[in-house]
Amino acid sequence: MMLTPEEQQRYARQMGSGVLSAEGQQRLKRSAALVARVGGMGGPAALCLTMAGVGRIIIAHGGELISPDLNRQLLGSEAALGKPRAGHFAETLRGMNRFVTVESIDHEPDEGETFELASRVDVIVSCPPTFAERLRLNRAAVRAGIPLIDAAQWGMSGTLMAVEPGKTACLECVYPEEPPFEEMFPVVGAISSATGSLAALEAVKILSGTGKPLFGRMLMVDGFQGRTRSVELRRDPRCPCCGPPR
Amino acid sequence: MNIRVVFSGRGYDRAESIPASLDLPPGSTLSDALDLLAKRLPDEIQLPAACLIAVSGKHAGTVARHEACPLGEGDELVLIAPVAGG
Repeated sequence: MMLTPEEQQRYARQMGSGVLSAEGQQRLKRSAALVARVGGMGGPAALCLTMAGVGRIIIAHGGELISPDLNRQLLGSEAALGKPRAGHFAETLRGMNRFVTVESIDHEPDEGETFELASRVDVIVSCPPTFAERLRLNRAAVRAGIPLIDAAQWGMSGTLMAVEPGKTACLECVYPEEPPFEEMFPVVGAISSATGSLAALEAVKILSGTGKPLFGRMLMVDGFQGRTRSVELRRDPRCPCCGPPR
Repeated sequence: MNIRVVFSGRGYDRAESIPASLDLPPGSTLSDALDLLAKRLPDEIQLPAACLIAVSGKHAGTVARHEACPLGEGDELVLIAPVAGG
């Protein structure tokens, strides 16, 4: 699947030395990504993937946009308040890049639907607010054998990790017991966008075969305290999700 | 021996209550460091069970479930309380 002259023009700034090769850009065009929840982190992630030229993007997010979402959900707008997010956000994404196909799902997929979606894409970008949903996405990625990028945030901090099923630690290796859910977590939109954009960068690298993905590592960005750390994650050989190393 | 302590993630705003370093007897382990931290911290800011632990950049498990890990002079103990967000 070759790039058209119009596509080559669109992506001219991201093809070349230190960025994507022409083949890498073509791989993006042939790829599909699921972005689960397109709020504070998933919204910027989906936007970056759309602009980068990932061929097909599926976004999943239920519910209606409410005023407190607009401190971070940059796919939203004043005009969309009170309306279902998914359809509106998908239209925003389509308006950014006519070369990309965007599908929207207006609810939280259950276990079966999550696996069915995972089977249709090449990578999952996981950005939900609950560990229950994150762990469900992780199980689907491991079962489908596709990479997962997990982005998380709290306040002015964020974490990011990438999973290569069967080779590197999965989310359940890191969190063997599901941490509690905090519904009204504090968050500043700038860290959401930063974390979501970094998640998209990992997806672009993985899908295009460019650079060194964050597989097997967790990146922690603590904007409040002004520091970052990288942790080498280890697989749990007894992990009920990803099992012993292959 | 002395190790550095870094706390982040959910509740990082309480990090000022957590000592930036710990003095431990030679031969101390990760569990010894966590026990000492628990004694130093007020009840209301105890580390969550699912808090990720890393020693000098290497993942060692969680507060509730971690491997036996000997510590050395100058090690950095990183604690990341789980975050999810959305």
